[in-house]
Amino acid sequence: MGMVDVKAKILEKNYSKAAVLRDKFKNTCVLNFVSSPGSGKTSILEKVLVMFKDKYKLAVVEGDQQTTNDADRIEATGVTAYQVNTGRACHLEATDVEKAMAELGYDLDLLIIENVGNLVCPSQFDLGEDAKVIVLSTTEGDDKPIKYPVMFRVGSSFIINKTDLLPYVEFDVDKCIGYAKGVNPELEVFQASCKTGEGLEEIAAYIEGMIAKKKNA
Amino acid sequence: MHEASIAASLIEIVIDTAEKNKAEKVTKVFVKIGRLAAIEIDSLEFAYDAIKEEYEIIKDSEIIIEDVPITGKCQKCGVTDTYEEMFFACGACGAFEVELLTGEELTITEIEVD
Repeated sequence: MGMVDVKAKILEKNYSKAAVLRDKFKNTCVLNFVSSPGSGKTSILEKVLVMFKDKYKLAVVEGDQQTTNDADRIEATGVTAYQVNTGRACHLEATDVEKAMAELGYDLDLLIIENVGNLVCPSQFDLGEDAKVIVLSTTEGDDKPIKYPVMFRVGSSFIINKTDLLPYVEFDVDKCIGYAKGVNPELEVFQASCKTGEGLEEIAAYIEGMIAKKKNA
Repeated sequence: MHEASIAASLIEIVIDTAEKNKAEKVTKVFVKIGRLAAIEIDSLEFAYDAIKEEYEIIKDSEIIIEDVPITGKCQKCGVTDTYEEMFFACGACGAFEVELLTGEELTITEIEVD
């Protein structure tokens, strides 16, 4: 009988794969979009990526349990997309991104990873990204940031989507932002509507800023 | 429900460590899970116990999980506190600039072997 010291991160393997990816992404800005299902991540990407798609080399990795519906929607806008079907898994892992990149190639200015719709599990899996962008829609309740604080803790920016529905739902924008800042004061916040177009140019400018920051790093 | 992938990664490390140390059997596995690690402890235990059956070397092992509370130090007033909620306003001065000390652990610390 004896004790063996281990002192290792349980997700060490995912971290080391993510580190290899991060190394290969030295000229590519990588944004990991996370949210609950149905918050409008794909809709935002459809509207925003077309604003600058001709200026950059970009691609989208779509993560869903099943179907190629989201990748088809992105491809329809003229942006390259690669669908990963996770089957039973509730999140993307670094190895999924590695497989996608074998198809897409690393010669990109921007890679968007649209994670599986889930505000819990994807928070623990590093994909080699520069930032996690959290999307929350106004139909979901303004207390989501404190109900799912782990994700808000690791996110860099936060989009409140479907603001066109505000007159019809019980959603207090200021309260929601207050909660989010309480969990993570560094969060950059955007308000958007894919119906009215509110905030979409700001999101595009934010992404272009991130691309420039990566190039100059 | 990503506890199954967490358990699988954990078991890989346990078996690897046991083999490197020429152990015949693993009896206990000690892990630390912070409250901010998004892990349901019961689910992790369940997943560990389900997967361990497939491996002779860990089949009789027990997973011992330390549930690590969230503690933080306020950068404004310097007070160190334990946080029950994950809303990080300093309990003493109300500032949001709280530096986390513990709560993000997702680590294996040691294993007991025969």
